[in-house]
Amino acid sequence: MAEATLHIGGHGLHLCGGDTVEQAMRIPGMKVFEVESGKWKVESDMEIRLDSGAKLPDCRWLHEFDIIDGQQRCRFGVDTEGTYYYTFDRHGMLRYREGEGVDIDMKGNVEALRFALWTAYSMMGVKLGALPVHSSVVVCNDKAVMCLGESGTGKSTHTRLWLENIEDTHLLNDDSPIVSIIDGEARVYGSPWSGKSDCYLQEKYPIAGLLRLEQRKENSIRKLGIVESFAALQPSCPPSLAKEEHCMDLLVDFISHVIEHVPVYRMGCLPNADAARLSHKTLIG
Amino acid sequence: MKINDKIKIRTVAGENIVIMQDATGSDLTRVVALNESALFLYNQLLSKQFEVDDIVRLLTEEYEVNEADARKDAEAWVAEMKKNELVL
Repeated sequence: MAEATLHIGGHGLHLCGGDTVEQAMRIPGMKVFEVESGKWKVESDMEIRLDSGAKLPDCRWLHEFDIIDGQQRCRFGVDTEGTYYYTFDRHGMLRYREGEGVDIDMKGNVEALRFALWTAYSMMGVKLGALPVHSSVVVCNDKAVMCLGESGTGKSTHTRLWLENIEDTHLLNDDSPIVSIIDGEARVYGSPWSGKSDCYLQEKYPIAGLLRLEQRKENSIRKLGIVESFAALQPSCPPSLAKEEHCMDLLVDFISHVIEHVPVYRMGCLPNADAARLSHKTLIG
Repeated sequence: MKINDKIKIRTVAGENIVIMQDATGSDLTRVVALNESALFLYNQLLSKQFEVDDIVRLLTEEYEVNEADARKDAEAWVAEMKKNELVL
């Protein structure tokens, strides 16, 4: 049996199974988060079994969506016993039952496997207060600024403008960092899921603020109240969670905790240096 | 009229909110906040058939408000709740 332990978002993730474990560890970025045995002890609180031969029962399907630029159709559902299932086209499936970890059966497709691991993290993480948040994250003065927004809004553009115009900044993640609540504090961690940027950093930072970006003809920034903050963050969390009552309860607890401790801003912006200076001045000072 | 029994009130950082289910997961989450009196009416009227007169009675019994003002508030509450499909 093959196995590997990773440390992602402050949690230990244990993978075990057959050949797919090695395939998983060859996904770009994964090795960065591997815990070398004997060197560093990590308690694993997330368990993923690969190649376990899970079977698909009758399900109530709650959500259908495409991944990998529309090349694959996925479904999310739940059976009568409260076990959750995802299917990834003909490539395989994922099963999750609370407290029992995740089983993934996936044949061949590396991109689908990468997405399945992300999904497994989301399902187990929401219960533990750790969740991937779709964003581009820049670090300045040891504090992170998370840029949120619809696809094509310019999240990566805005963080690039920070890198080009503001001293001592670096990119933490360009797609899916982990926001993790540990001992009551929300921090953002690098992850093996970083979109097209290959930015895989085993680092964590306190969050200076969340920035929901919108393209506008002039730069403006406004701090949001609780209700607007919720509406700003929720669409950037894994969408399937909002499709099922119990998952939604956990998601609401997570978001509630984050927005109680981290300021959320709405920013209208142009793709220029002044936009980066405005958000830097407002969030970092 | 009747409260939409498909909705769920959730507490988020001290605020009582309703997340519009049809919108979740899309890029625009619609959230409606309920203040104290709106929440009071919601709790009192849940799973009952009611008319504006019932709301006026509840408001005058619970709050120090005269009937004319209570009726105005009740009509505004119903309009707002209907607009957001919280009352059907």
